[in-house]
Amino acid sequence: MSSHREAPEISKDPAADSADLYAFVSPDKPDTVTIIANYVPLQGPAGGPNFYEFGDDVLYQIDIDNNGDGVSDIIYQFQFNTSVGNPETFLYNTGPIGNLGDAHWNRRQTYRVAKFQHQAGRIVGSNLVCPPCNIGPLSTPNYEALAGAAVGKLADGERVFAGQRADGFYVDLGAIFDLGDLRPFEQAHNKFGVSVPPQMNSPAPGINGTKGLNVHSIALQIPKALLTKSGVYPTDPSSRSSVIGVWTSAFRQKVRMLGSNGSPTYAGPWVQVSRLGNPLINEVIIPLGDKDAWNATGPGTDSQFTHYYNKPELAGLLPVLYPGAFPNLDALNKSGKPRADLVAVLLTGIPPGVVPGFQNSMGTTQADMLRLNMAIPPTTSSPSNIGLLGGDAAGFPNGRRVFDDVTTIEIRAIAGVTYALIDKSYKPDDVATVVHQGLTSGPNDLNAEGTAQFLPGFPYLGQPYAGWDVPADDTPTMVSSY
Amino acid sequence: MSHLSRRAFLTKSSLAAATAGLLASAPATALPGLLAGAGTEADAAVAEEGAVELGGELEGTVVAHVRDLTTGEISIYSGTQETVIRDPGMAARLARAAR
Repeated sequence: MSSHREAPEISKDPAADSADLYAFVSPDKPDTVTIIANYVPLQGPAGGPNFYEFGDDVLYQIDIDNNGDGVSDIIYQFQFNTSVGNPETFLYNTGPIGNLGDAHWNRRQTYRVAKFQHQAGRIVGSNLVCPPCNIGPLSTPNYEALAGAAVGKLADGERVFAGQRADGFYVDLGAIFDLGDLRPFEQAHNKFGVSVPPQMNSPAPGINGTKGLNVHSIALQIPKALLTKSGVYPTDPSSRSSVIGVWTSAFRQKVRMLGSNGSPTYAGPWVQVSRLGNPLINEVIIPLGDKDAWNATGPGTDSQFTHYYNKPELAGLLPVLYPGAFPNLDALNKSGKPRADLVAVLLTGIPPGVVPGFQNSMGTTQADMLRLNMAIPPTTSSPSNIGLLGGDAAGFPNGRRVFDDVTTIEIRAIAGVTYALIDKSYKPDDVATVVHQGLTSGPNDLNAEGTAQFLPGFPYLGQPYAGWDVPADDTPTMVSSY
Repeated sequence: MSHLSRRAFLTKSSLAAATAGLLASAPATALPGLLAGAGTEADAAVAEEGAVELGGELEGTVVAHVRDLTTGEISIYSGTQETVIRDPGMAARLARAAR
């Protein structure tokens, strides 16, 4: 999850915590774009009897900018409603859930979708049904059918799905947040003079911190022509009008009060509490003191954060954590030159002429959005999980596909690989060009360690893990002391 | 329909008064909020003393937040709306009542 628990306030509010955002030209329906926004991160599948769900008290949005000003031109807004069939039982379901109308299913969510465009809004989907959580072979014996029946359609022809999915993001959370340890390179870590387990003195594969966990996804599949400013189907990769910027945001009402019986009451306007465009931005680029404020703002004012991109903290740490491995990056850091490469990749899009045959720029407005050049067709033969760095223009940072190894891509970029795009005299460190988090066997591995099998079609993220069988796979090694 | 004085409104409403300091408010967002008939912070109007007409039975929860005792700025939340009034006297009375 590229943005889960990334800021102090939202880390206490999983229902509103955006974890990952994907936007890509649908490989099986290339006349459409698929956008997936994940919320409710780090779900242990066995977390019953009150299984995970969207927040009825949260407004969820998918925002699309098609003119490059960092402000929404198209908004899809989702609001959920939970109903309980029988309040006299503690059970989520009182028998096998055979279909979405099954009376055994006791706590269900429906939702409606509003669409805002051209200064007007309208309801484009009502009483849409979320599938239940995947509980186990007795409760949800045919989960694939339940989830398939929950794919709906909106008024303008968009397909929609909202419900539990297996988390497709893979990241070695445990090592990376242990002072920047990358297991494949941990023998080179400075280790701060600490006595470490002996296995940390030799390279090791990564361990996926999201292995066996679920999320709640809001997914849309939208005809491309509905997304451009002109309404014209985008065919020219060199045209600025072929590019859209995407982000997701979540809102809560300003006031929440608890009654004497503990039931909440809400009042006041909606306030943005979470947003996500490019992966790992609020997580890694924005420092603690600004994280909550970043979540409360829109991309249109992101120029106030540009200095963090120009001098990212992680770029300064790498030469310290891995002494001698990043001499060129160290020299670049010490030169004080701003990281205009990161500003281009992450804030404005890559302009024409930087990467031959590619651009995803919408102008000069600095705004954190997942920019997708819709005229670039999906890569169906040997796509690279490191996207554009691997010569695959259909992948991140041109949008983001479910299998893109965005952690490795951004580590390499911050380590200096992309600086060479704007300064031909700069030679990236050898390590920077090969550093990775150790969760794939190589750039063409689309099934990283610990991820569920992705689906070939909408909504692409795999069926969620069932609570019944995931605990059997939960075998951590207990180490009481190092 | 009888009109309520502001004092009666304070007495009869479901009201919470937060008297400590300013609430750190987030910037306004361009959220149309159609689904919930929602207002946003951008909708919050600053009304001068006496400009808010109240009458009849109240529906739903009404919350008052004294944002600044020195200016008498009070936010009143109802539904998905926020109305800001400036009434130093009322702000002072609320602060006293909260002690």
